[in-house]
Amino acid sequence: MANIAKKVSWSGKNDETRGERTPLLNGSEEVRYNRQVPGLSCLCHEQSLLLSLSLCPALLEMQDPVRSRPKEIPHNEKLLSLKYESLDYDNSENQLFLEEERRMSHMGFRCLEISRWVICGLIGVFTGLIACFIDIVVEKLAGVKYSVVKKNIEMFTEVGGLSISLLLWVVLNSAFVMVGAIIVTCFEPIAAGSGIPQIKCYLNGVKVPRVVRLKTLVVKVCGVICSVAGGLAVGKEGPMIHSGAVVAAGVSQGRSTSLKKDFKIFEYFRRDTEKRDFVSAGAAAGVSAAFGAPVGGVLFSLEEGASFWNQMLTWRIFFASMISTFTLNLVLSVYHNKTTELSSPGLINFGTFDLECVQYSLYEIPLFICMGAIGGLLGALFNLLNYWLTIFRIRYVHRPCLQVMEAMMVAAVTASVSFAMIYLSNDCKPLKMDNSEEYPLQLFCADGEYNAMATTFFNTPERSVRSLFHNPRGTYNLLTLGFFTLTYFFLACWTYGLMVSAGVFIPSLLIGAAWGRLFGIWADPGKYALMGAAAQLGGIVRMTLSLTVILVEATGNVTYGFPIMLVLMTAKIVGDYFIEGLYDIHIKLQSVPFLHWEAPATSHWLTAREVMSSPVTCFNQLEKVGTIMDFLSNTATNHNGFPVIVQASGEQVGKLCGLILRSQLIVLLKHKVFVERAHSRLHQRKLQLKDFRDAYPRFPPIQSIHVSQDERECMMDLSEFMNPTPYTVPQETSLPRVFKLFRALGLRHLVVVDDVNKVVGLVTRKDLARYHMGKHGLEELHLAQM
Amino acid sequence: MGVFVNYACLFRLLLWANALTFITAVNIASDATELSGDRALNRPSSFISVPHAFQPDSFRQFLTLGLSDAFPEDMEGTENCLELLSIFGQRYVTLANCLVSYARPVKVCQNCYTDYNNFENIYKNISSDQSGPGNVSCQDSLLWSDRLMLLPSLYSGLRDIWESAACTNCLTAYQMNLSNETLNFLAKLNQSLICFDKYQQGNHSELCKKCKTAYKQLDELYSKMEGNKTLCIDIEDAMNMTRQLWSKNCSSPRKEMVPVIAVSSFMLFLPIIFYLSNYLHSEQKKRKLIHPKRAKSSHSLMNIQDKFS
Repeated sequence: MANIAKKVSWSGKNDETRGERTPLLNGSEEVRYNRQVPGLSCLCHEQSLLLSLSLCPALLEMQDPVRSRPKEIPHNEKLLSLKYESLDYDNSENQLFLEEERRMSHMGFRCLEISRWVICGLIGVFTGLIACFIDIVVEKLAGVKYSVVKKNIEMFTEVGGLSISLLLWVVLNSAFVMVGAIIVTCFEPIAAGSGIPQIKCYLNGVKVPRVVRLKTLVVKVCGVICSVAGGLAVGKEGPMIHSGAVVAAGVSQGRSTSLKKDFKIFEYFRRDTEKRDFVSAGAAAGVSAAFGAPVGGVLFSLEEGASFWNQMLTWRIFFASMISTFTLNLVLSVYHNKTTELSSPGLINFGTFDLECVQYSLYEIPLFICMGAIGGLLGALFNLLNYWLTIFRIRYVHRPCLQVMEAMMVAAVTASVSFAMIYLSNDCKPLKMDNSEEYPLQLFCADGEYNAMATTFFNTPERSVRSLFHNPRGTYNLLTLGFFTLTYFFLACWTYGLMVSAGVFIPSLLIGAAWGRLFGIWADPGKYALMGAAAQLGGIVRMTLSLTVILVEATGNVTYGFPIMLVLMTAKIVGDYFIEGLYDIHIKLQSVPFLHWEAPATSHWLTAREVMSSPVTCFNQLEKVGTIMDFLSNTATNHNGFPVIVQASGEQVGKLCGLILRSQLIVLLKHKVFVERAHSRLHQRKLQLKDFRDAYPRFPPIQSIHVSQDERECMMDLSEFMNPTPYTVPQETSLPRVFKLFRALGLRHLVVVDDVNKVVGLVTRKDLARYHMGKHGLEELHLAQM
Repeated sequence: MGVFVNYACLFRLLLWANALTFITAVNIASDATELSGDRALNRPSSFISVPHAFQPDSFRQFLTLGLSDAFPEDMEGTENCLELLSIFGQRYVTLANCLVSYARPVKVCQNCYTDYNNFENIYKNISSDQSGPGNVSCQDSLLWSDRLMLLPSLYSGLRDIWESAACTNCLTAYQMNLSNETLNFLAKLNQSLICFDKYQQGNHSELCKKCKTAYKQLDELYSKMEGNKTLCIDIEDAMNMTRQLWSKNCSSPRKEMVPVIAVSSFMLFLPIIFYLSNYLHSEQKKRKLIHPKRAKSSHSLMNIQDKFS
């Protein structure tokens, strides 16, 4: 333990921040005071409040009377944001719940089960329809754009003035992207990016604000259309997963809070537990619509989100996935006038590989592994560059107008670089009758030939992927592929993280397919393009099982299962040596309290006593309304769970008897369920679980609830509403044990008690997510306000 | 008995096929010599003439000599069928000859459609179900009675060629004539070629200037036909040749290198300015750290570690 100082995490990377480092918890000695800063007052307020309380006096004595100002540091990845809260996966088995269960008949439970299936079917249908909509609109818009530019280029090729075509292309791209960026930045910033990190967090149990709202869905869909039509190096597959999740969250609730429309159906499912299960089905349906990979979708949900999994849920999710891909297939085949063929199961269609090139021989396996390693290296480089860029963006490019400008600029540069590449390329190939190229550009090629560089750049990315997979040998020459890989790598890396909705799947596939084709230019290029695509994608996102299955399903080819698995495995091993996967990086940079599968490896010596927050704000079973109001309105302590205690006579501290949530208290206050009133108004109906569900998921803020001075003196009886059996652990429980409880049960609050069942502290998600393995052993993250 | 019939037919056909290949070989050899001298558009007359050995009568004689004695009752209906068979043979040879002789440059659609029509007709006759004088249908005896099924495979071979050439696109309905569009195209093509020929000798810039209108018209027409899907192999090939000829002489040069590069590099320059100015002028986003409440007994990781070390 020589290097102790290093084991604590520091605020920043560079030396100047290290100078003012402060170990987070080591308050009294090292914290610097600076009283000029506003924000102090609220903390004073907090202190006075805490001191005025007499609920857990023993704990209050422990409280350090230090008044520290909030220290400000630049954003980095070692922070936890306060704005994220946990989902309540654990069911609160209070009296109301038991009553409702007693009232419900056997038939009622049957109906619930059936409606779960109906919801999953609906999720599939709507997700599929959204996928169709995106696909068709993108195709139309891109078609218009490319034909206009193509016509313009043809017009100017001979007479001169191609720089005008270049400008036209730049302006068109920027215009599309501007629309996309404006709707994202102004209406719903959470819709930016692929949405997979956010859904991952949601499935992990983090309540990401506004992530599953209808508005987000609308912005996401329009944003994706704009950014793909705007020619950015992006795909529309990642956002499909987010869209599916939003659809699931919306459909399962039977109402839209944004539209103020309540269909009065599926009311039973209005709580986090059920919603989260449906969201995992929605994510699976999204994957399945994006890639035509229903099994891959199920496995994606399993891999990313499911700590809670059972066979029936899996089966339902599979059902939703299947319905989603079938709907997409059906609608698209009707749209393409091939009603009976059902030939487009996914948004991206990798096309089928010819039977004769399906085989691979034994000597190729080392080659594939080698490609996996290259993919891992390139993926790590991609992630590293994107990591730096994202930090820069968060620190400096945070004003909406700047973000829109940045997106437009990327679009303009993408167009001009593509144009320059096409212009300078000498790779001409003869046109064929059965040509798959939609917009062949001739430019300076001889008549009847087309520019091969243009097939990769002057096309939507999905089509480019397909031509790289399937165009016969000799379609591209070495130089074309090399330059394409290089430019697209940097463009894609630059593009991911812009304030537009866009995914990273297709660009990665495209980069990988290009260098894979380069790798296999001496042999059968399509096969190597596929392996390269798998390697690159695996190196960037580091998904394993689900990605293998997705790729196998998308190519419709089980024979390649083994090599794809090898490639992805190698890519992950090599990439993980350098840096994490792209989604994990972005989750970290958003300061989300994300719980991984396991607690950090060397954390067994940490016990619940060190981990927990203390002192805890507790309520008596019979509590004064005024006290509750004061607690809840305190902005400095935004607690969500409050242990409820009973005061035995003669003892100073009460024993734990339950746990109540802020949301429950708010509903109680709103309905004014006070002891005094209950006596006076016997005729009023009793509060039911339904009242809590109606307020879900957007419980009104405490400020909106008005309590008169008289009412402040009333008492509230919490015993009926609290969770009477909260999970507790003794103080000596080790961190991994606590972690396991959290991960496996989906807990939100875990009460730490001493040997006589008195509340000592409270462990929440943020307390656990603080610890992570850094370069120098166990490190601790800071909490920060955002 | 059925087995016998089968074998009989098979044997007969084998013999006939041998004869046919032999004859074709002779034919092509003789044509080759003739062709070399005469490459004009009109077809060499010798192609139509059917060699002596192929006269139906002698053919039948040749057959009866061999096997028909063994299966007297089988021969009742075959008179008619044998007739059909021999016609099929003739027309096959004619068509094959025609195709081969117009293989390069491709002009098969323009020149062979009559032959193809004849060939198809006879096959249809054979395969139509009407039975001849003795109530045996030729379809059964000629087409399907053996494992080899020579006639159908011969037919489908040529039909596939015809279909992949997409000749129907250039012909009128029922393939009776060249379509007007095709004729129009051929006329335009001729114009261009004449023009090319005329200026071939001089310097190329003159050719490019003088023939441009003709060529452009041709190109436009071609694009239009491409859109209408009225292209057949003849037209495609002719156009390809013409385009190559044209592009060899008059490809448009890359004359705007400087403006394109300038605009592109200006675009590339933008982000540098953008990020630099953001770095210098934009206010860096700071995060306020929050100090969580902790139990006093355990201040930090550091203390714990001290305790343990």
